[in-house]
Amino acid sequence: MAERGSHKQDVQQGTLGLMILKTLDVLGPLHGYGIARRIEQISHDVLAVNQGTLYPLLLKLEQEGAISSEWGASENNRRARFYRLTRRGHRMLESEARDWKQTEAIIARFLQLKSEDLR
Amino acid sequence: MRTLRRFFSRFWNLTMLRHDDERLHEEIAGHIALQTEENLRAGLQPAEARRQALLKFGGVESVKESYRAARSLPGIEALFEDLRFAVRMLRKAPGFTAVAVLTLALGIGANTAIFSIVDAVLVRPFSYPHANQLVLLFDAPLKQPEALTAFSYRDFKALREQNHAFSEIAGNAFHDLTLSGAGEASVVNTADVTPGIFSMLGVKPLEGRTLVSEDGKRGAAPVAVVSESLWRSRFGANPNLVGKSITLDMRSFRIVGILPASFRYPDGAAHQDVWIPIAQDPLFGPLLSRPGVPVMGVIGRLKSDVSLAQARTEVRTLSARFAKEFPAQDKGLTIRLLPYHQFVVGNLKPALLILLGAVGLVLLIACANVSNLLLSRAISRGREIALRRALGASHGRIVRQLLTESALLGLLGGSAGVLLAVWGVWSLQSLLPADLTRIGAIHVGAPVLVFALVLSLSASLTFGLAPALLATASNLQANIQEDGPHAGRRRGQLMRSFLTVAEISLAVVLLIGGGLLLRSFAVVTSVNPGFDPRNLIRAEVSLPQFQYSKPQQWVSFANELLARLHAQPGLQDSALGAPLPMDRQGEASFPFTIAGNPPLPPGKTHAADYATVSPEYFHVMRIPLLRGRFFTQEDLSSNPNVAIISETLAERYFPNQDPLGRQMRFGFPPNGNVLREIVGIVGDVRDTALSQKPGPIMYVPFAQAPLYGAEVVVRSSLSASSVAAGIRQAVQSIDKNLPVTDIERFPDALDASISRQRLWTSLLDAFSAIALILAGVGIFGVVSYAASQRTREIGIRMALGAQPRDVLRLILTQGAKLALLGLGFGIVAALALTRLMTSMLYGVSSADPVTFASVAILLVAVAMLAGYIPARRTMGIDPMIALRYE
Repeated sequence: MAERGSHKQDVQQGTLGLMILKTLDVLGPLHGYGIARRIEQISHDVLAVNQGTLYPLLLKLEQEGAISSEWGASENNRRARFYRLTRRGHRMLESEARDWKQTEAIIARFLQLKSEDLR
Repeated sequence: MRTLRRFFSRFWNLTMLRHDDERLHEEIAGHIALQTEENLRAGLQPAEARRQALLKFGGVESVKESYRAARSLPGIEALFEDLRFAVRMLRKAPGFTAVAVLTLALGIGANTAIFSIVDAVLVRPFSYPHANQLVLLFDAPLKQPEALTAFSYRDFKALREQNHAFSEIAGNAFHDLTLSGAGEASVVNTADVTPGIFSMLGVKPLEGRTLVSEDGKRGAAPVAVVSESLWRSRFGANPNLVGKSITLDMRSFRIVGILPASFRYPDGAAHQDVWIPIAQDPLFGPLLSRPGVPVMGVIGRLKSDVSLAQARTEVRTLSARFAKEFPAQDKGLTIRLLPYHQFVVGNLKPALLILLGAVGLVLLIACANVSNLLLSRAISRGREIALRRALGASHGRIVRQLLTESALLGLLGGSAGVLLAVWGVWSLQSLLPADLTRIGAIHVGAPVLVFALVLSLSASLTFGLAPALLATASNLQANIQEDGPHAGRRRGQLMRSFLTVAEISLAVVLLIGGGLLLRSFAVVTSVNPGFDPRNLIRAEVSLPQFQYSKPQQWVSFANELLARLHAQPGLQDSALGAPLPMDRQGEASFPFTIAGNPPLPPGKTHAADYATVSPEYFHVMRIPLLRGRFFTQEDLSSNPNVAIISETLAERYFPNQDPLGRQMRFGFPPNGNVLREIVGIVGDVRDTALSQKPGPIMYVPFAQAPLYGAEVVVRSSLSASSVAAGIRQAVQSIDKNLPVTDIERFPDALDASISRQRLWTSLLDAFSAIALILAGVGIFGVVSYAASQRTREIGIRMALGAQPRDVLRLILTQGAKLALLGLGFGIVAALALTRLMTSMLYGVSSADPVTFASVAILLVAVAMLAGYIPARRTMGIDPMIALRYE
C-alpha cells in the first residue's frame, strides 16, 4: 500500500496500454488488480494506475484482440478475471514498443538539442 | 482493422449489456477485495482496510460510466435509450399519441396511395427496351398542327425508305375480326401490323416466330401470331398450335407463333388476341394501294445517336418533299413526332402531378397539426425538460430526445399510413379508369414503401423540429418554478397561431381545388348529352368481310336484323347506327365540302363527325328533330342521296342560311364523292365524351351508306340481360356464326367517358375533406389551449362583471381572427394555384367566384364551430375557482 505523495503521477495517456501488454508479456496471465499493482511496483510506486481507465482499457484491448480473458481463481482462491496476452497482442506489443522507443529517441535528441547544433 | 474489429465487438456488446455489467461488477468487487486483503496484511483494521481500498479505487460509478462508453457505441445506445423513453412517453399519453398517429397516417397514407399511382404510371419504365427512343409519327395539316391523323401506306413506305433518323419504322391498325371454327364464333381483337414492329419493340415469341418482312408483302401466304391468352383460352394451350390454321373473317391464316400475354402495343391499349400483317387485313389490305387514305398509326425507333430535334428536322424536310411529289394528297400536310412516353401518359401527367401536390398539402397540414400538438405538450412538459437540463443534459441532447419522439410518431404514423394506402389502393381499383390501370399494375411495392419511409422521417423532422427547439430555449428557472412570466409559452402561442393560419390557408387551397372539380363534375354529369341514355342498351354486330363482301349484303342483313328485332316483344324500339355516341375520340375529322360554296383554299378542310343510321335511330335515341324530316324507309340507295345535319353543323357552316335543300359532298372511299341533299336538322349530341362540347355531325341513311356491321341500340324496359339475349337470338337466327359483342348499358358508357373526371374529383374531394377536418382540429386545439391559459384572466373579468356572452366573444374572436387570416392567405394562394388545373376543369373558371365564396363560408362555419366548443366551456367558469387557478 503506497501513500499518496505529491511526487506521484497518473500514468500518461496512451502509455498504459503498452504497460499492460508488457506486464502480461513478462508475468503471464494476471487479474486486473494484479496488473495495476505490478505497474505501480515496477514504477517504484511513482505511478498511480487509475482504475477508471484500467478496466475500460482492458476491455478495449480485449475488443481489439490483443488480450483474452477468462474467469479464474486468484492466489487466495478469490474469483477474478485473468487477462492473457494473445499472439495478436504480442505483435501489437512489439510494434508499439518499437514506436515508443523511436519516439523516445526522438524526444531525447530534442532534449539534448543545443543551439550550436543547428549552426 | 483495429477500429473495425472494435466496432463489431462493441456492436455485439450492445446486445449483451446486462451480461457485461455483471462482469464489471464482479471485477470491481474482486479488485476491492484483493486490495482489502493486502491492506489487512499491511496491518490495518478490517473496516479501515476496506475503506482504504474503496478510497484508492475511486468512483465506482465513473468507472462504470467510462467502461460502458468503451464497451459499446454510445450514440446508438443513447438512441435506444431515447427510443425506450419515447415509447414510455407516448404510452403515457395515449390520447395524444392516437390523434397524432391518426393524423399522420391520413397524410402519409394519402401520399403513399397517390404515389403508388404515380409510380405505376409515370415512374416505372415501359415494358419495351429503350422505350425513350420510341416516337409516334402523325400526319397533321400545317395550319392545324393539333389535328393528328394516321398515315397512308404510300407515305409510310416513302418515309420508311427515305429517312435516316430511325432504325426502324412500323405501322399498326386495329380491327375486330371474327374467329370461327373450333367452337363458337367470337370476335378477336386483331392488331394489323407491319412486321418490323416486333423487333422494334423487342418482343420474343413464346413459341414459333413473330412476323418477318416476307409476311408483310402483298400476295404472301396469310399468317398470324396469336397471344398467349388466346392460346390458353381458345386452344387449351395446345402445344402443337404453331403450324395449324385458324379462320379469321372466313379466311384461313397459318399460325406461326405465340406471343407472351404481357405484350401489348401501345401500353394502355385493350388486350390483343391476334397479330396479322396489315396487307392481309380484309378491310385495310385493299386500302394500302390507295394513295392518301389514312390507314395506320406509325411508330419509329430513333437511332441511338439521333435526337428528337434532329429527327423533327429530317421529317419536316421529308414532308416538304412528299408535298411536292404527291401534291394531290400531301399538300399542306406535315409529319409530326410525339415521344411515345408523352403519347401514353401525356394527358395523365398534369392531373397526377396536381394530385401529388394536393396530397403534399394534406401532409403539410397534418404536420402542422401534429406540430401544434407537440408544442402544447412540450410547453406542458417544460418542467420536465427544465429539470433534465438542470441535471446536466445538454441542449442538443434534449433536442435529440424530442426529435426521437417525433421520429417514432412519424414511423408509427407512416406504418398506419401504409396500411391505409394499401386499403386505399385496393378500394380505388374499381374507380380507376381502365386505360390507367393498363399502363402499369398499381400496387404498394418496394419503391412506394421507400417513399413512405422517407416521407415519414422527413415529416417527423418537419413537425418535430420547431417544438423541440422552442421547448429547450425557454427560461430554465421560470419553468422549474412553473409560474412567473411564461416567455416560452407566449412564444409557443405565437408559433401555434402561425401554424394554424398556415394550415387553414393550405386547407383553403385544397378546398377550392376540390370545389372547382366538384363543380365541373356536377356540370359534366348534369349536361344534356343530346339523347336520352336511360333504358338504352347497345350491342355490336360485325359481319365477316369475306363472307359478307358486298354492301348489298350488309343492307339486307341490317334490314333482316331490324325486322326480327322489331318482331320481339320489348325490343320494338330498336335501331342501327355506327358509330354511336361515345365510340369516338378526338376531334371531328371527316372531311366534306358544300356544293355551291367557293372552293376552299388548299390545306383547309371542313370536318365533321359522320354516322350512318337506320330510319328509327333518332326516335330510339330521342334526338329531337329541329327542322325538315327524319330518314324514312324510302331513303334507299336507288333514291336520291340524303343527309341530316346537327344543329352545330348548321350554325357553323351555314351561318344565316337555310341548309335545307343544300347539298354536301362526303362519304367513305368506295362512294366518297357523293352529293347528298340536306333533308333535316337534328339536335346536337355529345359524341366523344360528356365533357366534350358537341361537334358538328352529319348523318346518312344506312341503306345509302352501309357498313360491314353495325351497332344495335335498343330502348327497352326489359332487363339488360334479356335485351342482350334477345339481340343475340335475332342475330344468330340469321347466321349462327355471328357473334354479338360489347353489350353495354348506355348510362354505363356515359359513365366510362367521365371516369377520369370522377376519379380526380373523388380523390381531390376526399383530400380536401381531410384537410378541412384537420384544420378544424387545429383551430379547436389552439382555441381550447388559449382558453385554458386565460382561465385566470377570464375569472377576473367575470368577477369584474363581464357577462358569459362577452367571454364567449373574447375567445371566439381569437379563433375567428386565425380563420380569417388563413382564409385570406389561402384565397390568394388558390388564385395562383388553381390556374394550373384549368385542363381538369369543365364549364367552370379556375377563379369561379361561387366556389371561392362557398369555400369561404364553409371554412368560417367550421372555424366558428371548432372555436365555439372550447369557448363554451369558458362560459361555465366559476370566477372563484378561476382566480385560484395555477
